[in-house]
Formats: sequence, structure tokens, C-alpha cells
Amino acid sequence: MSYFVINEELLSQIEMLETLIRNNVAGMFGGNHRSRNFGSSCEFADYRDYADGDDTSKIDWNAYARFEKLYLKLYLDERQMHTRIYIDASRSMEHGDAAKAEQSIRIAALIAYLSVAEMDKVSVYVIKEGAAIPVVSNIVGKESYLASIGALNDVVFDGDSRISDAILPSTVGYGDGMSVIISDFLTDNDYENALNHLAAKRRDIFCIQVLSREELNPLTRGKVHLFDSESEGREYRRHVDREIAEAYKKALAYLTGKLRDMCQARGGEYVLVSAEDSISDVFFDKMIGTGVVK
Amino acid sequence: MSFLYPLGLLGLIGIPILILVYIIKTKYTEQTIASTYLWRLSEKFLKRKNPISRLAGIISLILQILAVTVISLAIAHPILTVPAGADEYCFILDGSGSMNMAESDGTRFEIAKNRINEVIDSSGNGSLYTLIYVGDTTLTVYEKSDDPELCKLLLSELQPSYSSPDISEAMAMAQRLFSANPGAELLIFTDTDYLSHQNVKIVNVSSEVKNYSISDMSYTYSGNDLTVTGNVISHKGDAVLNIGLYLSGYTSPVSSVAVTTAEGEHTPFTVTAKTAGFSSVRCAIEESDSLAEDNEYVIFNVQKNEMFKTLIVSDNPFFLKSSISSAVSADIDTVPASEYTGTAGYGLYVFDSFVPDSLPTDGTVWLVNVDGSVSGSGFSVQREISFETSAVLERSSSTSSVARALLKDTLGDQIHVTEYIKCAPYRNFTTLYSYNSNPIIFAGVNANGNRQVVFGFDLHKSNIAVLYDYPVLIRNLVDYSFPEIVDRTDFVSGDRAEINVIANCDSIRVDSPLGNVSYLDTTGAFATLPLDEVGTYRITMTVAGSPRIFNVFSAMQPEESVPSPISESADVIGDAADLGIDGIRDLLTAAIIALAVLFSADWMVYCYEKYQLR
Repeated sequence: MSYFVINEELLSQIEMLETLIRNNVAGMFGGNHRSRNFGSSCEFADYRDYADGDDTSKIDWNAYARFEKLYLKLYLDERQMHTRIYIDASRSMEHGDAAKAEQSIRIAALIAYLSVAEMDKVSVYVIKEGAAIPVVSNIVGKESYLASIGALNDVVFDGDSRISDAILPSTVGYGDGMSVIISDFLTDNDYENALNHLAAKRRDIFCIQVLSREELNPLTRGKVHLFDSESEGREYRRHVDREIAEAYKKALAYLTGKLRDMCQARGGEYVLVSAEDSISDVFFDKMIGTGVVK
Repeated sequence: MSFLYPLGLLGLIGIPILILVYIIKTKYTEQTIASTYLWRLSEKFLKRKNPISRLAGIISLILQILAVTVISLAIAHPILTVPAGADEYCFILDGSGSMNMAESDGTRFEIAKNRINEVIDSSGNGSLYTLIYVGDTTLTVYEKSDDPELCKLLLSELQPSYSSPDISEAMAMAQRLFSANPGAELLIFTDTDYLSHQNVKIVNVSSEVKNYSISDMSYTYSGNDLTVTGNVISHKGDAVLNIGLYLSGYTSPVSSVAVTTAEGEHTPFTVTAKTAGFSSVRCAIEESDSLAEDNEYVIFNVQKNEMFKTLIVSDNPFFLKSSISSAVSADIDTVPASEYTGTAGYGLYVFDSFVPDSLPTDGTVWLVNVDGSVSGSGFSVQREISFETSAVLERSSSTSSVARALLKDTLGDQIHVTEYIKCAPYRNFTTLYSYNSNPIIFAGVNANGNRQVVFGFDLHKSNIAVLYDYPVLIRNLVDYSFPEIVDRTDFVSGDRAEINVIANCDSIRVDSPLGNVSYLDTTGAFATLPLDEVGTYRITMTVAGSPRIFNVFSAMQPEESVPSPISESADVIGDAADLGIDGIRDLLTAAIIALAVLFSADWMVYCYEKYQLR
């Protein structure tokens, strides 16, 4: 199934949003470009204890003279970042009116544009079953972006997705930018290992959870037998009353809270997006509002 | 608990049907959603449900089952038996004339009825009520009824009489009831003080009220002078009473007199007036009191028609004509037998030794010495029997009203006859004299409805003419032939007036003082009119299409004028016991309320599930 999410209207909208932040704010992800990783630029960042194997040329001897202890001077690294965007392409994202799938594509296109605008490199992957399949690879610059981003329209959302299984074996880079995971995270499959792996690879983690309005505020009541779109084996049969509805809300709060905690514990960011939100709402309310975009 | 209509419990069949429908109807809505993850996760956040909340899913079914159960119970009409929760009551309601007396809050009878209603209202459900009304007759209005509303309805329809009833029959009924259930409460609602009343509660509804009465009135009328005498009594305290004399046609007294009377004493009064004539005379006490019915007395002037038209058909009418003339001032015509052609217009027809072809239809008939059967006469002539010397007729010893009236004042002289005609009556006649059980002189009503007297012998061939009894007998027969409608016009409530039924009487209509209309039997010679009310009875006798109107007055019984009567005893023998009877609680109302609650609850559950949660 092809989507027509990436079209001229969306692109012009994204371009306008990018223009707004360029003129009014410092930039995205630290600008052009101070990563969170310490490197070899001239700009001092911090001290840390010396460890065996460290470059002895970076020992601060003045500090040693003062404290009689070896400290290593750290400098901010300055280089081209590589933004890697992972889209959950499971059937649950497409079920119904495909709002979640479309919203995922829109958000991926937005983040990709913001990245290329910062002269960063961008790759977009779809996670299908246990694999991260590149859709757009290593695009740099807006021309390249415009030439290739339309490929997202052809993403097929089907089957299951196992985020950890897909990301762990893939090339995620090391300390060179942001890894964005766009998913509903409504899965029994593991994704925590993926986050751990990305954190270990010193990637900036950004999880975007896309949920439909019905998932955020379910109206289902009475005797229902619910079947999972991804697996017939997963079903739910209950007389949904107010107690269960309240339990559902608690479960939702638990899931989003858990995901947020996971991201923040790994220095990452998390936003919850409704599939029905407009792209400008997502940009201003979710990304700028939560400080993801600075 | 019992049920009035146990078949209503068949409605419980609806419960399994309801459950079956519920099972069939209960279907989960199948739906595929993006992910069931959150729903499954929500299970961990469900509170541990208590057993009651687990029923929440089927609370509607539970309510509906309860509703079906309650509907079935309501149809079956459950009755709960409460041991010893009720009592048995026997009310004896005094309906005597004095119960008509007015108290401050109604008549005594109304007060008594209210008291009975109060007892019924305060009694337990399932109580049994027996009401014995003692009025003109002793009447068991209801016996052991458990329906208080019906009892009150029947009670409301009772009215006091004007008689002086005896409660002994009612006490006998109460005794029977008490013997069967010593726990029964016996109550007499009366205005009488009973000197002893064992096992009986007296509810006296009387108070100290004043009452006057008038009685024993009579009058004499000579020339134009009318003199009326009577007695008045003040039943409470001494009094000066003004007594007015009212004549027919006058609305105000033509004369009056003031009488000073002491309490309880019969004080005579005399009041006079001059009048050219009157049809009634009424004396009334002008002072008001608690009972108006005994404040007046009326006597009607029955002016008897002394002229009786008589036709004697005989070849030798002299003897009969002189006999009848001596008895009554009669207008008598005579006609020889050969010239009789069936003339009409007489009150009395006498056929002497003559057999008419047919009987007259408009008057009394005497058949003297008829030697042949007459059509419609009610008897056949068999033969003539002669005696060598004479035979003595046997006087009837019958106590019938006709025999007593016709033989009144006779001494029983022996009537000798030398021959007689043997008659065989086939209608109902009253025999006055007979021989060997053969009726010789007998009277009755013939086929035309006229009175008829038969002499089965030739008057000249007997000694009857020389007997003392003869003019008396003829007088009685003439009275019988020209009957007065009533002998007197003043009676006392409870009396029975005898009405003489005139020949060819079509109907006798009676309008009572209270406006009740009744008709008396006209087939006999006399009709009896029971006088149960106080006041003037209007009697309209229609004879051959012409109405003749007479009035009689029924006065209040003197003893009923006493405001606080005293009686000796109203005892019921036996030992009273504090026994209750099983009371009942009608649960129908409770069932209906429960049903309304269940329906409301079910409706609220439905709305709650349907709207509130969404």
C-alpha cells in the first residue's frame, strides 16, 4: 500500500517550520554541530579521571600540580552527525484508517528534513519483523532529501516488528548523532535492549510513540472480544465496564511512563504523539514544547 | 405464607426462559484492533473484585429474575399469616327507635356506626367481624367476615328502625359465637344502660338530651265541637309544653294549650276547637327536642259511607230486605226472579232461591237457597237433603280471620233446618256452619273476585229468624259485604294494620312516611300492612280503575321516647379468654412496591451501562 503522505504540501510545511526555528532559535540538536560526545576540537568541555590507555597528551598537568591527581581534559567533538530514523512498520501501525502509519511517515520526514538542514546525514529504516530495512540511506543536503524522501510513501506496514532484533545487529554508528524510533510500542517484543544498545553506542535516543485516538481514550464498552491485528493468538475477551476502562488508562500511563523513564535514563527523549495531530502540532507542542528541538 | 391464586406461581417458568434468552442473547462483539497489548496489560491494574462486584456483569439479569419472581408472587397474591395477630369481633347494633335521637354530632345510630368503623379500622388484618342488627327484625348483616371494607359498606347501608326490638335473639347469636371462640370481643352499640353485661362491652352512644312525646290521643266530635285529649311527657326535666291542634287544611294551629309537666309523668291535655268538619286532626308539641318523630300524633276521620246499594232478586224479598235494612242503612232494590236480567251497579246482590245465568262482576253476592250450580260461584250443587224433623247445623270453630270476623259476637245459637242443599265447594271458602261436614253457610271469593256468601238452605225452613245470633250474623255478613278499608287510623310503630280488600280491587299501593312504596296482596279478603315507620301511611286502593285514598298514622312506640333507657342484662355466659386468631398480611402491595423498585433499578442499570460509561 502506498501513501501520499510525502507530498509538496507536507514538504513546504516542513520547510516553513525549519525556517521558523532557524530564524528564532539556536538550531536543532546542538547546531552545526556539537555532539554530546567529547572529541578533539579546541573547545574545552570537562575533566575526567585518567584511566590506563588514555591519551597522555590530554592530561592536564596544571591540575595535577594542584591536586596531585591525573585528570584528562575533555574537548567537544565537532563533526557531521548521522541521524538514523527507525519506523515501526508493523501491521498495528497501519490498522484501521492507517493514521498511525501516516503520522509516522510525516514525523520521519520532518526529522529528516531538520537534520539535512543542519547538514547532517540522514538514514531512514523500517523495522519489519526482526530487521531494520533501509528506505533512505545516507542522504545529505536538501536536494538529496527531496529526491529520496518520497520513498517513505512506499513503506508497507505489515506483520510484526521486533525492535531489538532489528536494531541490535544493524549498524547504528557510535556517538555520531541521534537514533529516532517511531512506533506505537504496543508490543510484547523487547525494545529495551535496543535502547541499551543505542545508549552504549553513545547515540542520542529519541523515542516517538504514536497512538491513535481510540488507543489514547478507548470508547469500547460492553461485552467485547478483541483480536490483535498482528497476531490472532493475542486476544482479549471481557465485559468492559468502568473499572476496566480505568485499568486501561492506568496501563496506558504505565506504558508511556515506562518508555519515558527508559529514554530519560539513557539520556534520551520521549514524546507521545496522537496519530490525529497535525504536523505543526507535533512540531511545536511535542518537539519544541518538550525541548527536543532547541 | 399462602397464596390466593397459587396458579400465579406458574409465572416462575419465566425464570429459566429468561436465563435461556440471556444466554442466547449474550454475545461478545468481535472486533479487530491494532493491538490488544494495552488491554491485556490493563488486567494487571484491575482491582481484585469482591464477589458482589463480580455479579455486576449479570446484575441486570439478576434484577430481571427478581422482577419475574416478584411478578409471579404478585399474581399469586401472597398472604402472610400472623399467628394471633387478629381478633374476632361481634357487633350488636341497636336499631331501636330511640337511636334516631339527635346528639351533638349526629344521630345516635350514626355515632354507633362510626364507633364500629373505628373498631374495624383499629383491628388487625385478618380479623373476623360479625354484625347483628337489632331493628324491626334481628338481622345478621355479616358473619365472620374478614373483609373490613365490605363490612363498612354493609354497615353504612343500615338505618335505624322505629320499633322497640328485643335483643335476646341477638344475644343468643352472640352466645353461640362466644362459645365457639371465648376470645371473641362482643360489643353492643346502643343507647341503653344495661345493669349487667357479662363478657359484653357496652358502647353507650347516648348523652343527656331532652325529649318530649305525645301519646294516647283521641277526639270527640259533636256538632261542630271538636275536643282532643291526650298525654304529654317530658323525659328530661320539668317543662312547659305548648301543644298545637292542627286540622286538615291548616298549616297553623287552630287551637293550642300550654301544659306544665314534670319529668317522666304522663300529663293529660285537652284542646278544643270548633269546626264544621275535618278529615284529620293532629296535635304537635311546639318545642324542639332530640327526637321529632314522637312530637306529634295524628288521627284520621274515616267517614263511613252508610248508604249501600243492594239488589235482592227474590220472589219473596221481604224477609231478607228487612233483615239487611235492620243491619245497615241500605238503599235496597228488589226484583222478582223472573225479571232479573243481569243488572249491574250494586254493591250487594242477593239471589234468593234463584240461580242466575252468571254472577255479577261488580259487587258482593249472596246466594240463598240456590238449588243449582252457578258458573263461577266456586261450588257445585249436588242435591237437596230433607229431614223429617230438623237438623242442627254445626258452628265452625275455625280461627281464621274471616271466620272470626263473620262469627263475631254470635253466641252460638243452634240453627235448625228441615232441609238443606248439599254443596261441594271447589274454591277456598270459609265455612261458618256445616252439617256432617257439608258446608251450609260459607263465605269466600268467587271467580269474579267478588266476596260471596252462601246460605245452603231456605231461610224460611229454619229457625234462624228467631235466633239472637241472626241479626248479629247478618250484620257481620253485611260488614263483610261492604268492608271498610281500615277499622282505625291510629297505630303504633310495629303494629300491623289490616286492610279490607274491596271486591274488584285492582291494587293497593302504600306510600310510607319515609317515601317507600309497596303494594299489598289483593287476592284475599284482608291485606296486612306492617307499620315499621313513624308517620302517615298513604293507602291508595284502586277499585275498578277508581282510586280510593286512606291514611293511617303510625306513632312512635312510647318506650322509644325515653332518652336513656335502662335494661336489665346483656350477659353472655362463659369465661373470656385472651385468644387471638391468625391475622393476615396482604403482601400484594409490598410485591408491587418491590416490583417498582426492581424495574427502576433495572432501568438505572441499563442507563448506567448505556449512557454514563460512554
